[in-house]
Amino acid sequence: MTKEGSFLKFGFVGPTLLFLVALNLFPLCYNVVLGFTDAALSQDDYRFVGAKNYGVIFEAVTNPKFGDALRTTGFFVMVAVTVELLLGFCLALALRSKFPGKTWLLTALLVPMMLSPAVMGLFWNLILSAHNGILNQALGSVGLPEPHWLTDPKVKLVAVLLVDIWMWTPYMLLVALAGLNAIPSYIYEAAEVDRASTWTVFRRITLPLCAPLLFLAVLFRTTDALKQFDLVMALTGPNDASTQTLSALLYQITFANQKVGLGSAYACVVLVVVMALASVFTRYLDWLAKKQGRLAYGSA
Amino acid sequence: MKALRVALIVVYSLVGMLPFAWLVLTAFKHHPDTISSSAKFVPWTGAEVGGPGLAFSPTVEGFAQLADVHEGMEFSFLDHLVNSALIGVLSTLASVALGTSCAYGFSRFRIGGSKDWLFFILSTRFMPPLSVVAPVLIMYRALDLPNTHVGLVVLYTAFNLSLAVWLMKGFIDDIPRAYEESALVDGYSHLSAFFRVVLPHARTGMAVTAVFCLISAWNEFGFAMTLNNARAVTVPVYFAGLQGNTSGVPWPQIAAGALLFVLPIVVFTFLVRDHLLRGVTFGTIKQ
Repeated sequence: MTKEGSFLKFGFVGPTLLFLVALNLFPLCYNVVLGFTDAALSQDDYRFVGAKNYGVIFEAVTNPKFGDALRTTGFFVMVAVTVELLLGFCLALALRSKFPGKTWLLTALLVPMMLSPAVMGLFWNLILSAHNGILNQALGSVGLPEPHWLTDPKVKLVAVLLVDIWMWTPYMLLVALAGLNAIPSYIYEAAEVDRASTWTVFRRITLPLCAPLLFLAVLFRTTDALKQFDLVMALTGPNDASTQTLSALLYQITFANQKVGLGSAYACVVLVVVMALASVFTRYLDWLAKKQGRLAYGSA
Repeated sequence: MKALRVALIVVYSLVGMLPFAWLVLTAFKHHPDTISSSAKFVPWTGAEVGGPGLAFSPTVEGFAQLADVHEGMEFSFLDHLVNSALIGVLSTLASVALGTSCAYGFSRFRIGGSKDWLFFILSTRFMPPLSVVAPVLIMYRALDLPNTHVGLVVLYTAFNLSLAVWLMKGFIDDIPRAYEESALVDGYSHLSAFFRVVLPHARTGMAVTAVFCLISAWNEFGFAMTLNNARAVTVPVYFAGLQGNTSGVPWPQIAAGALLFVLPIVVFTFLVRDHLLRGVTFGTIKQ
């Protein structure tokens, strides 16, 4: 590579990398520093307090909030991703064959995942309203119980899950459909010649060939659901015991209680979890790319 | 089996689209009709406002109120819509420009540790906004950036770069190298080959990338809420503030505003329908 070449190289990729270092890497490191201080929103300077903040976090007895938020987030992610995956995959199986108007119907079904969770979440308040909401009116008209979705602590999290499932099942549907479409038809033809049963075909061909993409979708959705904040804010607020996710807890500590130092310490713990997942994710992507030429990364 | 399939599709389509249909209907209602205990589905001009039955008399009052400034607030919905558009468009332009050049660099040059850099870029997307917002806020305070449009434009640009770089890399990898090589043989410099040969071929990719960046900036809530309190507030944050309205939640107005806010997204979704899969998987799955 000539000198002009290496200058050009940096000219192309440099600005982006500098930008990301300044606005992602730097705040991340600064976060670690802040986690050891008593920084607060209302004051400009701060003192170092050692590992005190981390002491607060891990004292599960005096501070059950972190444990609760962890459990709430874990439960939320597990249920949301599982239901979305199963429902999305079933829908993809149903939508697999060609029919007139399929592209339009499919696009219409995908719309919810493109919309603003904060704005649609606010509107869902009207749908979920206990007495006047259409959901409860529909449930009541067929004789089912009408839960107080947004006020009963037992069902609040279900309400958040419901809206999340409405928004993100389309995502699983889209990826699952891509996985199904990528299975070459000659495999099915061969199975037919061998008189394989429908169940065998599904278990031996459809599922294993779809699985890599489904796992990719699960990873994407898991990292996304871990961040859940917008819907919680829109439906129940940041300080609700039964729906407080990690992001909502971070917001509550940093902004409502104005304890930046403690909030940063929490953020560091959360980030370790997220980054661990992210590295699983990128490794998987790398492995998948090597395995399948179909993926974009394969050509790099 | 076939009946089961059709039933699943029909039921899911109805349930999935109902919230959107309800949003459209609510936008054209009077306030009492939005919270009536019998769901009103049928627009009929003769219906009595707040009366019994399934009919409601349609009105555009909700839309007209969008220009009103609520008590205790400084700006109306329309002002915030302008904020959203301005911040969305500017940050999109910046992300696509930076992302395209970065993607080209990674696609065509030998860069040490390029795989690690690309994964670093991707992993910035996994960070929960709320976990980096405190240091960003302190940084911004030192630079006088909270409550400014520029502050959000810069942040959204950084936030969307991961998407822009990965999407554009997929699109640029698809452009044969032979195009530039023949341009170089013809005496073009590397830079002019990029501008005159590569960019025209990357137009579709840039348009698709722009749509996805615009949508994610348009919908963003966490940063917008924590770095702002008045002037540069975007629509999602403004809406969140309406929830505690003392005179009851203004549903027709919220629905009308939400409709105007999400309609462009619905249109864009249909425009990029062939590229949705790429867009939502950061270009890792092409089809």
